[in-house]
This record gives sequence, C-alpha cells and structure tokens, in this order.
Amino acid sequence: MSESDSHIARAALDRVLVLAPYRRDAEYLCRLLSEQQIDVSHSDGARLADRLRESAGVLVTTHEALTPQVIEAVSAHLHAQPAWSELPVVVLLDRASPNARIRAELARHWPRSRLLFYERPVSAVELLSGIQSALLVRLRQRDVGDHIDREVELRRELNHRVKNILASVTSIFQMTRRGASTIDALTADFSGRLQALSNVHSAVFRADGEAVSIREIADLTFAPYRVDGRDRVEASGPDLMLTREGGTTLALCLHELTTNAIKYGALSVPEGHVTFEWSVDNQHLSIRWQERGGPPVIQPERAGYGTRYLRSALGSLFGASPVIEFRTEGLYCAATGSARRIVGNP
Amino acid sequence: MSTSPPPVLRILCLEDNPLIAFHVEQMIEDLGHLPIATLDSFTELQALPDVQADCALIDIDLADGCTGPDAAQWLRQRGIPGIFVTGQKEIAEANAEHVTGYLVKPIAMEGLKRVLDEFLAKPRSA
Repeated sequence: MSESDSHIARAALDRVLVLAPYRRDAEYLCRLLSEQQIDVSHSDGARLADRLRESAGVLVTTHEALTPQVIEAVSAHLHAQPAWSELPVVVLLDRASPNARIRAELARHWPRSRLLFYERPVSAVELLSGIQSALLVRLRQRDVGDHIDREVELRRELNHRVKNILASVTSIFQMTRRGASTIDALTADFSGRLQALSNVHSAVFRADGEAVSIREIADLTFAPYRVDGRDRVEASGPDLMLTREGGTTLALCLHELTTNAIKYGALSVPEGHVTFEWSVDNQHLSIRWQERGGPPVIQPERAGYGTRYLRSALGSLFGASPVIEFRTEGLYCAATGSARRIVGNP
Repeated sequence: MSTSPPPVLRILCLEDNPLIAFHVEQMIEDLGHLPIATLDSFTELQALPDVQADCALIDIDLADGCTGPDAAQWLRQRGIPGIFVTGQKEIAEANAEHVTGYLVKPIAMEGLKRVLDEFLAKPRSA
C-alpha cells in the first residue's frame, strides 16, 4: 500500500461523519442515517483529522460547523487523499446564511471534494437520497483505487518474472554452450531447451497462471517423438498439479532425458522405448524413467552438462538427490520427494 | 619458495530457481571455489542452524517470499558474510547493511569473479 493509501482505510469509506455544533441537528442527522443502516458518527470538531480518517466515506456538515479551524482541518485531509479519492461533502445551508460566500470559500479551500449543497428546510427523503448517492460514488472511487493498487502490484510482479525468465534463458544458454562442440549442435540443443521452457509457459498460462498438470508436461514433451500414432515414451500417473516453478523444472528435466535418449539411448533405435511413471504415496511424489531396447549402455566417464543439470535440478525439485543408473536394459532415472514442496493446488 | 594453492571459498547459495542455481554452481566451480549447498528458502536455511560456509550468495526473492534480507541477517549473526544476487537493485541497496556487496541478475562470470576476489582481498573480521 502506498503512503497516501494508508491514510484512508478502505473500510472507512462506508462511514458518514456528521459535523454539527447544535445538538439537535447532530441527533437528527445521526438518527436519520442510522435508521437506514448507514454507519454514522458525530464529531464536535475535536481530533477532526483522526475522525475524518476513520469515517472517510461522506462528510455531512451544517454551515454553523464551518469555523476556520474546521475548514483548515478538512482542507488538510483533502490534500492528503490518494489520487483516486474525492471526498463527497454534503453542506446544509439556511436561507439566511451567506451562501454565496460559503460556496466560494469552500470551493477555494476544499479542492478534490464533491460539494453538495442543500438549503434547509430540506426533506428527509431528499437529503437521504443525496447522501446515499454520495456513498455510491465513494464505493466506485474505492474500486478504482483497488484497481490502481492491483496494477502497480502486477507490474512489479511482471518485472520480477521477466527478469527471472531472462536469467533462466542465460543459464540455459551457458549450459548449452559448455556442452556443445559445434555451432549446429549448440543451435539445436538451445532451441530444443527453449522450446521446452516455452511450452511449459503456455501450459501454465492456459491453466490460468499458477499451476500445470504433470500429464500435460509429459504430453507436451513427448508428443514430437510419436511415430505412426504410437508413443515412444509411455507416460502414466495420477492427475497431479505442479507449481509453475516445479512444472518448468520437470519439463526441462524430461526434455533432457528425452534428448539424451534420442542421441544415445533407447530412442536412437526404432525398437527402443521408454516408460515414464509418476505416483504419490503418503505425501511423497515419485517419478521413474526407464529406457529399454536401446543400444548397449555405456557409463560415461564424466557426466555431461545435461546430466549434471538433471542431478542438480531434480535434487532441488525433490529435496533429495535423484538416482541415475546406467542399467543393462537402459538408462534408469528416479526421484522421490516431499509432495508438499512441489504440488500446487488442483 | 613455495606458492600456496589459491584459497577455495566454501560458498552457500540461496536461490529458488533451479536453472539459475545450477548456473551459479557451475560458475563457482569454474572459478575454483566450492558450492557447498543450494537452499531454496529462508525456511530451509533455518533448519540448518550449524551451517558453515565462507560466504553466501543470496537471492532476495526466495521460495518463501522476499526473505533474502532476513536470511542475510541470520547468516551475518552466525559469522557468514553474504552477497545479494537480485534483479531488484533497489531492495539490495535498501538492505545493504546485512551484506558485503551485491550482484545484479543475470550474473555474468566476470561479475561473480570480481565480487569473490574482492571478498578474498578483504581482511576477514570475526
């Protein structure tokens, strides 16, 4: 909340403050409004600044209340309003009061107020409808204020997310560059990873912004590798949602596993295939990747950057190191971790 | 005359984006230092009251909110100096008393090297 917004609590915008030095006027006005279930209170001018903040909806004042001190206090309050706020003020005049002078003075000292003048005697019906209209105006102002706050917040959030995405892309590029020996390889790997990142973003956006299903991540990642309508990676598991961050990480990891399978593993030959399964058991999420039917598996001497990223990313996602084994039947990768860390709300 | 091997800093990372975390870990290794652990939140950090490190790289925004500054203070109380890593320069500057410096995202190798070299050059206070 901005400095000036804390000046007016949103809840205070439903309340009416009555300023009337004569007790009979004050009692009449307060009773008239409270009979209509309007939250009303009365001030004798003491601590006016505080009272205005507490009952910031509409000010109802008789002209007798308008001493220089009161005019000044209200003026200060008006100056401190946030940009969206314009205090409605109902002023009760008499036939005998110097109305032209009062109007001129208030116009000069009370900027950003909406002045509504009545000349007494005024019917209860007319006065009430004026005050109720003013309260509605106030509600609308509050909506505008809420929208402005929300927009400021969204803009800040957007900036933050964009910075994070740019940092992620930098990371992806650096990781790809280290692992690529030719420009063509760099280009292909980088495009592939960026596509995986982009797919997750689309999926999250489609799902309304904060969560994405594991099923959808799997489908997006493995769909390009279907042959003749057949899945080369069979994915199975319960309906489960991941947070945006979790989904992004999983998508990049699955992309990594799939790309390695295509280059060196089960997907590099037509008879090879992969199963990818996920399950939840007692607050723990597990994933399992098993390749079968590929060329003979050779354990590399030093893990490539993709594999190192896999270890790091799955480790941070699950809160525990993944198991990556070069089994005789094919590469095996599994991870288990607390579901609380990862799963968003469905 | 024998030359002593260059000092190896044990560096703790506080970062909740796994891609950035991985990248930072790689850069730390490339510079000859040791990334001892990467944690994603102040909550995770507090679960390790006996953590030891020579310094910490702290993202201002973590998994449990804008808790980087709190984490920096917590670490400082335990004798571990921190360096902010952030896209939000203003918040880094506002919380400068808890850290010895800051880096703006995305981090480049040169920036990280400079900050760590500066850190090594400064006499360490207890």
